[in-house]
Amino acid sequence: MNSLIVRQLIVDERNELFDAQGMKYAEFPSEYLRIREYSTKVLAECPPAFLEENLLEQQLSELIKNGIKHGNRCDSSKKLKVWYDLRKRARFIVEDEGDGFADLDEWNDFYRRRQTALFENDFDDFLRLASYRGPRSTEDDGGSSLIAALEYWNGGMIYNEAHTKVGVIRWFSSGSAK
Amino acid sequence: MEWIEAGVDDQDYQVVKLSGECDLYSAPSFARAMIERIESGACRLKLDLTEVKYLDSTGVGALIRILQTAKHSGCAMFFCGISGSPREVLQMSNILLLMHEEDHTGGEP
Repeated sequence: MNSLIVRQLIVDERNELFDAQGMKYAEFPSEYLRIREYSTKVLAECPPAFLEENLLEQQLSELIKNGIKHGNRCDSSKKLKVWYDLRKRARFIVEDEGDGFADLDEWNDFYRRRQTALFENDFDDFLRLASYRGPRSTEDDGGSSLIAALEYWNGGMIYNEAHTKVGVIRWFSSGSAK
Repeated sequence: MEWIEAGVDDQDYQVVKLSGECDLYSAPSFARAMIERIESGACRLKLDLTEVKYLDSTGVGALIRILQTAKHSGCAMFFCGISGSPREVLQMSNILLLMHEEDHTGGEP
């Protein structure tokens, strides 16, 4: 019998994913038009097998975009900080200087309703719930970055108490997750 | 990303071919163009993503908005050529389930 399994965004200040010891560090001004450029810089020395075409760049860009757009609200005087370690797996900590992802609990509730609609084959409701729309969402926001992120970061995705920092990890088998 | 009109196929679908990177910089204007087209009366629309090599959450959101508008307006939509990392992103977002795809022989699903 199938059962509904819904992942969640988790807060755990002391999680080992926030241990930055031995990680490389880069920081960037919060310039929206440079988001993908920042990801490319961080991944300049990434093992090719980890890139999976451009999937790693795409997922890192989502984390950086969330920090710059929703965290720092594109205030270029605020920094977007990235710690990264690309030895044996892809691991990142991304921190912004904003006031935190206030809607984290609401997002988890949204995601449960969305996945329930999918589980029940209620595709009308699922289409309606396909994108997250929070108080700060704009028309152009995709509203699905965290959904894919929970799938992609297969070793964990953890927020700090202030919801200003996220730690993620993706493991690869035989140099690739595929 | 660029998109071009590619005429009408043998199933009477208006075909739009996309190419390049469907990302946070290009997807919003694409969504607006397709939504305007649907709201102007297009009732059969096919998006060919064969040449799309990059898709991010803004691109996924654009496709969702187009699908929502199509459903609301009674516009039949289907897709073809979704492969590589764009397909992975759509799968991870569960959105592929909502997208009617042309089968490998070129017919409707």
